Amino acid sequence: MWQQVHTALSQPAHRALYKLASFLPGIVALLLAIFLLTVIGAALAALLRRILTAMRFDERLSRSHTIASITNIQDWSPSHSPAVLLTRLVFWGCVVLGFIIGISAFDASYSNASDMTVILWPYLAHSIGAIVLLLAGNLVARFLSRSVLISAVNAKLQYARFLSLGVKWLVLVLTGAMVLDHLQIGGTVVDLAFGILFGGIVLTLALAIGLGSRDLVSRSIEKSTERLPDGPAPLDPVPGDENLKSPTPIDTLRHF
Amino acid sequence: MATTSSNLDTKTETSVSAPAAGALLVSLSSLPPEGLEAMLTHLALAFPESPTRENVLVASPDAGHPILGSTAFGSLRLLPYTAVAPSINTLTLSAADYLNTFQIMQDHQAAACLVLGPESQSLSTEALRALATAVLSASVDLAVPRYRLGPRDALVNSAILYPVTRALYGARTRFPLAIDLGLSARMAERLAAVAQSFTASEQSDAILWPVAEAVAANWIVSEVEVGARTLPQPPSIDLNALLAQIAGSLFADINTKASVWQRVRTVQPGRPISMDAAPADGWPDVTPMLEAFRLAYTNLAEIWALVLPPNTLLGLKHLSLQPSASFRMSDALWTRIVYDFILAYRLHTINRGHLLGALTPLYLAWVASHIILAGSGTPPEQHIEELAATFEGDKAYLVSRWRWPDRFNP
Repeated sequence: MWQQVHTALSQPAHRALYKLASFLPGIVALLLAIFLLTVIGAALAALLRRILTAMRFDERLSRSHTIASITNIQDWSPSHSPAVLLTRLVFWGCVVLGFIIGISAFDASYSNASDMTVILWPYLAHSIGAIVLLLAGNLVARFLSRSVLISAVNAKLQYARFLSLGVKWLVLVLTGAMVLDHLQIGGTVVDLAFGILFGGIVLTLALAIGLGSRDLVSRSIEKSTERLPDGPAPLDPVPGDENLKSPTPIDTLRHF
Repeated sequence: MATTSSNLDTKTETSVSAPAAGALLVSLSSLPPEGLEAMLTHLALAFPESPTRENVLVASPDAGHPILGSTAFGSLRLLPYTAVAPSINTLTLSAADYLNTFQIMQDHQAAACLVLGPESQSLSTEALRALATAVLSASVDLAVPRYRLGPRDALVNSAILYPVTRALYGARTRFPLAIDLGLSARMAERLAAVAQSFTASEQSDAILWPVAEAVAANWIVSEVEVGARTLPQPPSIDLNALLAQIAGSLFADINTKASVWQRVRTVQPGRPISMDAAPADGWPDVTPMLEAFRLAYTNLAEIWALVLPPNTLLGLKHLSLQPSASFRMSDALWTRIVYDFILAYRLHTINRGHLLGALTPLYLAWVASHIILAGSGTPPEQHIEELAATFEGDKAYLVSRWRWPDRFNP
């Protein structure tokens, strides 16, 4: 009996050790590929940085008006230097290439019949995509919310901050839904929840803007229906409603 | 560091004679038929019949108008032309205007030119003659008009353009972004070269800064009194968009000419200016502007904190708490705000569109303060001159932060 127990324990242990033994070379290949490509990437990035610095790449780019997206490139570049952006792109490109080569090497050396390989690696790729989506969504949400905030403040909207937060959360909710969908988490539950939440936010914003601007809209409609053909539009009445504003005196000034 | 000589002419041209021999090109912008006729009449009076009149060439893009074929203007040489680059900017002279003008100058070998913007028919004959005489003189490369405007006109110029140009480039041209200019041949060529880089990238309506270009080239700039002029109305009264366009253009130009203005030490000597107090009444209500500023302070303080140092933020906080009747933005505070925004533009602290949008409420606060001050009896021009002097005095702050953005942050 003890012999059978010993056999029952040793055989799986042997199988596990065998799988580990066949797993390890792939891991070593993966790590080696990443390391080598990282070193190559660092060397290429350093070389490129020296070349771009010698060429005064940033100064030439900032002086050139022929590239219409200059401002955008410098806005998005780290340290606002397109040269640094290029070198980092080269470096991280090599790192990613190292990952791809390493994963291919690992996949080639490891058994294709393994369920772990079939399940894990695609999910890992999806995870990376989800992280990228999350980062991009955050950036877009922050940019849009700030744009809306500044525009709404300059338009003298009292609910500017509310509007800005609403836009930010709209984008974040959309991003979250896309990430979960990309990771195949939740399925139709996430779709429904997103639809309800997104629709709720949009409805809330529409009500807030509509209710807050109803007097403005009604005045605008009155103006268009009562406009005299031969003269200027009648001046807005100034009732006691504090939400109504008379034509701003700013327009009587000549700023330019 | 060596100082650059101040090649700035302080002469005030008030009574002058017809221009001496030498081709003069007068480049007009598109005018309505009655305006074009009035303009040509003024030009005929400004350059009366004489041997020199043969050398006055008037170019107009209104090629199809029949008046250009008439002989009612004597021997004034009229030249309809088709623009090389389309000019769509009606508020200022644009890159397309300079390019078109230089092209015509080259074709007709003009020695100098007057570039006149929209509503130029409101300029008097004396003004036209003064500009022409200034630019045809041997030494002047750029003749900039000094308009006689009301205290409510050209407020952006008073708040930002004039003080910054005076402080950075040492040029006391009251209207550095004038809509009419007198250019020598080499000045026109230089501006056309700069304009070419914009039009090549489909930016025909880009704004150029002639005074800065002249200072950079170490050429002579002269200011000419031209009296009253009707300023063109912008096609859109969207203050945010216009301010962003003009301020953004100025900041970008400052960025590219950093090596020039950091070396300028001398400032053009002052000229007598009108210190007439504005009427005490008739000023617009500043309440909407103050409300806009206070709303912006509540909502944009976090964004301003990315651009402005703590001292300035504290000043804005105190400002937001001031009662409307005694609302007063100090010249020092406004100076620091403008300089910090110029720095933030250069350093890309935040997106440039956001940066310029965040400037609008601060500008409105300055306008409100200026109006309240003028309404209390202070001559508007005196306030503007004091403001410009403050900009001059604080230039060292801008230079220090420009050179050491990380190390110097009071």
